[in-house]
Amino acid sequence: MKRLLFALLLAAIVFYTVFPFYWAIVSSLKSGSALFIVEAWPADPTLANYAAVFRGQPFGRSILNSLLVASGVVGVSLALAVTASYALGRVAFRGRSLLLLSILSVSMFPQVAVLSGLFELVRALGLYNSLWGLGLTYMIFTLPFTVWVLTTFMRELPRELEEAAIVDGATPWVIVTRIFLPLLGPALAATGLLAFITAWNEFLFALTFTLTDDRRTVPVAIALMSGASAFELPWGQVMAASVVVTVPLIALVLVFQRRIVSGLTAGAVKG
Amino acid sequence: MAAVELRGVRKAFGRTAVIHGIDLEIRDNEFMVFVGPSGCGKSTLLRLIAGLEDADGGDILIGGAEVNDVPPAGRGIAMVFQSYALYPHMSVYENMAFGLTLARTARHTVEDRVRAAARTLRIEDLLHRKPRELSGGQRQRVAIGRAIVREPRVFLFDEPLSNLDAALRVAMRIEIAELRRQIGATMVYVTHDQVEAMTLADRIAVLNAGRLEQVGTPMDLYHHPANTFVAGFLGSPRMNLLAATVTDVNGAAVTAALPGGGRVRIPVIADGVSAGDGVTLGVRPQHTVPAGDADAVLPGTVFVVERLGAETFCHVRLADGQAVVTQAAGDVRVAAGDPLAVGIAADTAHLFTGDGRALPRHRRHPLAEPPAPVTPAAAAPPPSR
Ligand SMILES: Nc1ncnc2c1ncn2[C@@H]1O[C@H](COP(=O)(O)OP(=O)(O)OP(=O)(O)O)[C@@H](O)[C@H]1O
Ligand SMILES: [Mg+2]
Repeated sequence: MKRLLFALLLAAIVFYTVFPFYWAIVSSLKSGSALFIVEAWPADPTLANYAAVFRGQPFGRSILNSLLVASGVVGVSLALAVTASYALGRVAFRGRSLLLLSILSVSMFPQVAVLSGLFELVRALGLYNSLWGLGLTYMIFTLPFTVWVLTTFMRELPRELEEAAIVDGATPWVIVTRIFLPLLGPALAATGLLAFITAWNEFLFALTFTLTDDRRTVPVAIALMSGASAFELPWGQVMAASVVVTVPLIALVLVFQRRIVSGLTAGAVKG
Repeated sequence: MAAVELRGVRKAFGRTAVIHGIDLEIRDNEFMVFVGPSGCGKSTLLRLIAGLEDADGGDILIGGAEVNDVPPAGRGIAMVFQSYALYPHMSVYENMAFGLTLARTARHTVEDRVRAAARTLRIEDLLHRKPRELSGGQRQRVAIGRAIVREPRVFLFDEPLSNLDAALRVAMRIEIAELRRQIGATMVYVTHDQVEAMTLADRIAVLNAGRLEQVGTPMDLYHHPANTFVAGFLGSPRMNLLAATVTDVNGAAVTAALPGGGRVRIPVIADGVSAGDGVTLGVRPQHTVPAGDADAVLPGTVFVVERLGAETFCHVRLADGQAVVTQAAGDVRVAAGDPLAVGIAADTAHLFTGDGRALPRHRRHPLAEPPAPVTPAAAAPPPSR
C-alpha cells in the first residue's frame, strides 16, 4: 500500500515536471492548425517548424551568441571566483565577513533595479549592442553566487593540506591552481553549470542591451519571433526553437551529472 | 642536519598567550620529543619552528642562523602532519616529488630521491597509487617519504602515529627508530604517547601550559623529575604523591613523617626546607617494596585490584583517606578489602617542596646521565691566545 502511494506520488511528480517539455516537443512537430488538436502524438509529425526557425531569422547566429556569452561568463566568473574564494575562505583579514555579506547582498537586488544604472555603464563603456556588454552585465549575478559557493567549499578543505604545500614551497598561486583547483572539481562543475544556465536563459539584459538581430541571444530571439502577420504568434516555431536550445542544457547536465551530485554533497559529508 | 635554538619564544592567539617565553636548544642530530597535556602548546611550538606560525617575541635559530622572517620552505625543514595531509589527487610518486619539482630540481634527481626514499620505507610498489587507495600505515609512510625526499636539516613530526591503531603504532614506532639511525638528522617529535616519548627520544621536553617544565634524557626525567608535574606526567601508572611533614634535616638526608605514623630518611639535599615544613613524598608504583624490606611502610586497605596478567596494580586506601597505587607480581594473592602495608625504599623515593620543586638527590641514578655538555661552539668563547 505504502509502496503504491509512493509510486503514485512519484508518477505525479514526473508527470508534472516532464509534461511541459513533452508538450513542447509534440507541438514543435505539428504544423498549421494541427497545433490546436489535443493528441498524445501528432498524426503526421513534421520537421517544418525546425527548418522555419533557422530560415525566418539568424537563429544559428543567436545560438552562437548565447554560447559565446554563456561560456565566457562561466570562464571569467570561475576564474575570478576561485581566486576570490581563496582569499575569502583561507586568508584571515579584517572586514572579511563584511565583504562576504556585501557580495551576497549585491545578488539580492532585482534585475530591474540595476537595469538603468547598468545601461548607463554599458553605454559609457561603449559596449551597447555588443556581446561584451552582455557578458559584463551577466557577471553581476553569476559572480556573487559562484564566489559564495566556492568560498564555502574552500573553507572545507583541510588546513594541513595547505600547510603541507607551504612547507613544500608552494606559493598561494600554486596552492590555488595545483592543490585546491583539482579538489574543487565537483564544486566548479556545479557552480559553472548553474552560471551557464543562468546566462543562457537571461532575457531582460539581453533585450535591453542589444539592438540588432545579429547580436541577439536565444531567449530574446525566441521572444521576438513573429509569424506571417503581426497578429499571429508562430507557436510551432517557438516550440521548435525552445527544444533546440534546451537540448544542449540537458546534455551538459547529463555530462556533469555525477560530478554535480558529488559537488552538492561533498560539503555535507566529511570524506 | 642543524641545531635548533629557541630564545625567549612567545606566542599568543589574539589575547590568549599560548607560549610564554621558551628557551630551548635542540642539538644537531638530536631526537627531541615534546610531551605535555593536551592544549599545552606542543603543536604551536612545532609550528613556530616550521614557520607556519609567527612568533610574537624571541628568536628562532636553525643551524645558527636566525630564521624569524624566513618562510617555511626556506628553513630547511620538513613536516609530517597528524592527518598525513597527502595531496588526494596526486599519486604517491607525485606527492613525494611535489616539493622537489616546485624547487626546480632536475628530473633524474627527483626520480632518484623518490625511489630511494620509497625503498627505505618499503613503499616502492605503491608509487603509482592514489592516497585513498592506501591503508593508514601506508599513508603515514608516504607522508614520511615526502619529508625524506626534501633532505631537510630538521624533521618535524606532529603526533604522526596518533591516527593508527595500537598494533600499527608499535610497528611504526620501531620503523621510525630505525629510520632515524639511517638518515641521521635533527628531529623534533610531538606526541602524547609516553612510550613513544621514552623510547624514541634522546631528550624529552615536558611542556605545561606554554612553559617548559623540564628538559632531559628519558631516564633523567624518570629518575630525577624536577617537579611534581613531571613526576606525575611520566610513568604509568602515575607516581604516588603523598602529603608528608619534615621532621629532621641534616647534611645527608631529609627525614619526613608519613601518613600512618612512619618515618623515612631520604638521601636528598635539603635545599631550603627545614623541620616542620609540609612536603610531598613521591613513590612510583613500581618502586614499592614488600613491607619486610622497606625503609618505611604505609599501612592501608586494598580497595581495587587490577590484574593485567604480567603485573597487578593494587589500589590502597590509607587511614587518612589518601590513595596509593602499588605494583605487584601478576600472581600475587590479594583481594579488595585485604589490609596491605605498602613498603617504601628510601633510595627510590622522591621529596618535593610545598610548591612542587624536587629536592635534588645526593647520588644520580646510573642510567640518568648528567645533562651532556652543550655543544662546544655555544658553551664558552674559544680560549684566547
Ligand atoms: N589558530 C589558533 N587560534 C587560536 N587558538 C589556538 C590556535 N591554535 C592553537 N590554539 C590554542 O593554543 C593552545 C595550544 O594549542 P596546541 O595545538 O599547540 O596544543 P597541543 O599541545 O598541540 O595540544 P594537543 O595535544 O591537543 O594537540 C590551545 O589552547 C589552543 O586552543
Ligand atoms: Mg597538537
